[in-house]
Amino acid sequence: MMAGGLFSQLSVLGSSLALVFGLFVLWRRSLGAYVSAFAWQSGVVAGVAAMVAHFSGDHALYLVAALVFGIKAIAIPRLLTVMGRRFGGDRESHPYVNTEASVLSAAVLVLVAYSVTRPVVALSQLPTRGAIPLAMGLTFVSLFVVISRKKALTQIIGFLMLENSIALLAVLCTYGIPLIVEIGVFLDALMGFLVMQVFVYRIHETFESLDVEQLRHLKH
Amino acid sequence: MTSWLVELGQSTAALLMAPALVGLIRWLKARLQNRCGAPIWQPYFELHKLFAKEAVVSTNASWLFRAAPYVVFTSTVAITLVVPLMLVPLPFDGFADLLVVVYLLLLGTFFTALAGLDPGSPFGGMGSSRGMTVAALAEPTVAVAIFALASGAGSTNLGHIASRLIASPMAALTPGHLLAFASLFIVMLAEAGRLPIDNPATHLELTMIHEAMVLEYSGRYLALVEWASAVKLLIFFCLLANLFVPWGIATTVSAPALVLAAAALVIKLGMLCVAVAVLETRVAKLRLFRVPELLSVSFVLALLAVTSSFVLR
Amino acid sequence: MPLFLLLGAPLLAAVIALMRSRYARLTGQVSVWLSLVPIGAAGYLWREVNRGAPVSAAGDLVRADALSVVLISCVSIVAALAAWLGPGWWGREDLRDYQIRRFVIFSNLFTLTMLAAVVSNNVGLMWVAIEATTIVSAVLIPLRLGKSSVEASWKYLLIGSVGIALAFIGTVLAYFDFVQRAGATTQALNWTVLVTAAPHLHPDVMRLAFVFLLVGYGTKAGLAPMHTWLPDAHSEAPAPLSAMMSGVLLAVALYAIMRWKTVVDLALGTPFTNRLLIGLGLFSLVIAAFSLVTQRNYKRMLAYSSIEHTGLTCLGLAFGPLGVFAALLHLVNHSLVKSTMFLLSGRLHERYGTTNLAAVTGLLRTMPWTGALFAAGMLAVIGLPPFGLFISEFALLRAGFATGHRLLAVVMLALLVLVFVSLLTHLNRMLYGAGVEGLRRGEDHAGALVPLALCLAVIVALGLVIPAPFWRLLTMGAAVVTR
Repeated sequence: MMAGGLFSQLSVLGSSLALVFGLFVLWRRSLGAYVSAFAWQSGVVAGVAAMVAHFSGDHALYLVAALVFGIKAIAIPRLLTVMGRRFGGDRESHPYVNTEASVLSAAVLVLVAYSVTRPVVALSQLPTRGAIPLAMGLTFVSLFVVISRKKALTQIIGFLMLENSIALLAVLCTYGIPLIVEIGVFLDALMGFLVMQVFVYRIHETFESLDVEQLRHLKH
Repeated sequence: MTSWLVELGQSTAALLMAPALVGLIRWLKARLQNRCGAPIWQPYFELHKLFAKEAVVSTNASWLFRAAPYVVFTSTVAITLVVPLMLVPLPFDGFADLLVVVYLLLLGTFFTALAGLDPGSPFGGMGSSRGMTVAALAEPTVAVAIFALASGAGSTNLGHIASRLIASPMAALTPGHLLAFASLFIVMLAEAGRLPIDNPATHLELTMIHEAMVLEYSGRYLALVEWASAVKLLIFFCLLANLFVPWGIATTVSAPALVLAAAALVIKLGMLCVAVAVLETRVAKLRLFRVPELLSVSFVLALLAVTSSFVLR
Repeated sequence: MPLFLLLGAPLLAAVIALMRSRYARLTGQVSVWLSLVPIGAAGYLWREVNRGAPVSAAGDLVRADALSVVLISCVSIVAALAAWLGPGWWGREDLRDYQIRRFVIFSNLFTLTMLAAVVSNNVGLMWVAIEATTIVSAVLIPLRLGKSSVEASWKYLLIGSVGIALAFIGTVLAYFDFVQRAGATTQALNWTVLVTAAPHLHPDVMRLAFVFLLVGYGTKAGLAPMHTWLPDAHSEAPAPLSAMMSGVLLAVALYAIMRWKTVVDLALGTPFTNRLLIGLGLFSLVIAAFSLVTQRNYKRMLAYSSIEHTGLTCLGLAFGPLGVFAALLHLVNHSLVKSTMFLLSGRLHERYGTTNLAAVTGLLRTMPWTGALFAAGMLAVIGLPPFGLFISEFALLRAGFATGHRLLAVVMLALLVLVFVSLLTHLNRMLYGAGVEGLRRGEDHAGALVPLALCLAVIVALGLVIPAPFWRLLTMGAAVVTR
């Protein structure tokens, strides 16, 4: 009973932390801050997966946690930092939605997530169910980051956070998904990121900037 | 009867401790910056000096200018009577409510802002407008952050919140509490005029907020205002300490419990002073248009704290 | 065995092209010949399925039933067309060797991932395959680097990946629902298992899951309001890729929606999914119809027409069993016609050098055969008889009237008339007139027109009579969706 309580508390704590790191991206403006927020968030998600593996006895989740940590908390942030250095001080100085409005919209989105996931939380018997709305909230916040930011690199980080939120959701709802699908999802995310990375270089080549607002030639 | 005496006693103790708090932070900052620094008792000497000096008042100032320091001081002292310092439950439990605290804080801020506007000096007006901006964003956050705790404890009475937490220690680690703590910490920096929102040691036009509002004051008025802001800092520290980490608070009116409570309070206040001093040394002051961003982040954290503690009840 | 051949052939072609680091004409030709293998495999599977039993392999992980076979046939035929008429066979003067090699590798991978999505029984792996199609096709869009193509591919990649991630959330929610009832097993994500367990699934959770799935896969299918990437991506991609994307990728995304519709309908009953499909389908139709009126770029015009047809297919899915049959027929017809049209537009682009509608005049004089086929294809896309799309649209409208959506069917009709007028106007401007000064007359690579003419002939044949085996296949496919 005590263990159940602790498990539940820790999962909610981990998910809240992941959500707060997501909010961080809406608050700060520099790419370095985004990359470290993403790295920490991936670390937290890996931690939650490992904790769920420990409490539920499903050892496949240890592998998932290791993959998330290795790839998303270490390798990808390193690549992103290299890209950031290459493309100079690209700061989100004027995103489509300003900081205060973004942060408040994020709060509203979290409330929406709570109401949307009510049937799921009601149905679930797992001790991790309290954290499910937070994972969904992170999903919505990441979507908002992709929509409201102007720099291509920030949009990539939004997409990566979206992937994190889905991994977290899968871990919390069902203690993970079948391993073969998990591996496939992982490969997809990795390939997607690598292709996006190549695209960032191409965008910079053709447009001389990473401002997505420049990508407005194709209208109607 | 004894509880009333203890209440008055702890309020007086708070009044007397407050300048030492400010002195401690200044001394710690000096040490961190490799200076010797003035002794911790320096603010007491300053207050003593100011009370002895003549108060110079501008000819444009009205009665408000002279009355404001008293209002601010009284409202701040009133808050010390309703905030849990060393004893819980308080004899003022009838009104020891969250909303009372928020309104009293706002009363003080409001009168300070008016006093900044009253003499008609440019620095005062500028300080007042900046101060009200910060207050407008920070005050709701105080309410919402403490409300997060209140929804967990089932009552907005501060004493009840503290005693409920003593009864169930595991609740202190819930995300609601942690988020509310983070939010209230940021607001404390805003309300008490600390870096990164306001620099208490500057009189540069570009950077001062609180100092600009009280720039015209001198003599006993300045002493009252400075003392009141030190007490405000102490109140926020006590809120942070006793609502989130209430262990050590006396629940009965007995000598050993009260001594333990006093010692616990001093330790907690000391730790918070260290935290604030280190933070002030590490961060630079935020540009003024970035302050609303930080405060809206703290508001959102408080909002998240409320939702998570509401849902997980 | 046939499933192995189906997936193995494009994989082999991609691997061969990958291993030869210096491109040679032979690689492209090998790829074209290998692209005929899936057509053979599709035929074999068709025969097996027509006998009544779905074909499965790899422990029920891979499975081909009637619905899959419909899609497999479309994908393999269009892929073969694109390979044959792409730079791999004829070569292109304006493309460098490394670009042609990239085209061969990735177009084969694209075919592989689409086929894998359609034969996968595991909905998780289906998702993985569809996400892979986004990545693989996004690499190919900027084959010729330029501001517009980079912009188009970036939008496509980002919107596509984000949309697909939402579809995955839907998958996780459905999996969660299933696991709550029946416990976690590795078979839990198999579509066959989900369908059996569907009546016991919790309605609220399935409702939420379907919304996510529809938004997610709908983004890939080009349903409005998630369609913003489509006109850009399909117009900036090289013609063979546009043919594959418009022709079959949209169909594969709709296939995913259909698979999930079956599961959700068993759990909730049809009204919920029908309402959502009608809403999005109608919205797509409206957006496409109005956007076609003032189009200035003929490739974007074709792309918006794809959105229109996707909308029509979605509406068909909501009109009961008759509607589903009509939708499947429409899907097949559309994939053949649209891919033909994009390949023809590729020829236009080569000759005229621009995709601007105003710049293309006198088509019948400059390239008589291409012009004639283009005109025929356009009439087919509009939905005129004797082409097959007329039959499928007519069946759609009839199904709409039959299920009581009279007002909706009338609105659809009105929008189709709008599309008819716009497209015909554009076509007229393109076909007639004096032609552009100094442009070469006559056809290059006239042999390339033969398969395109063949496709259009098939469309005409489907407009006159639907052969019995095909009818049987479509009926069985519709039965899979509406069981």
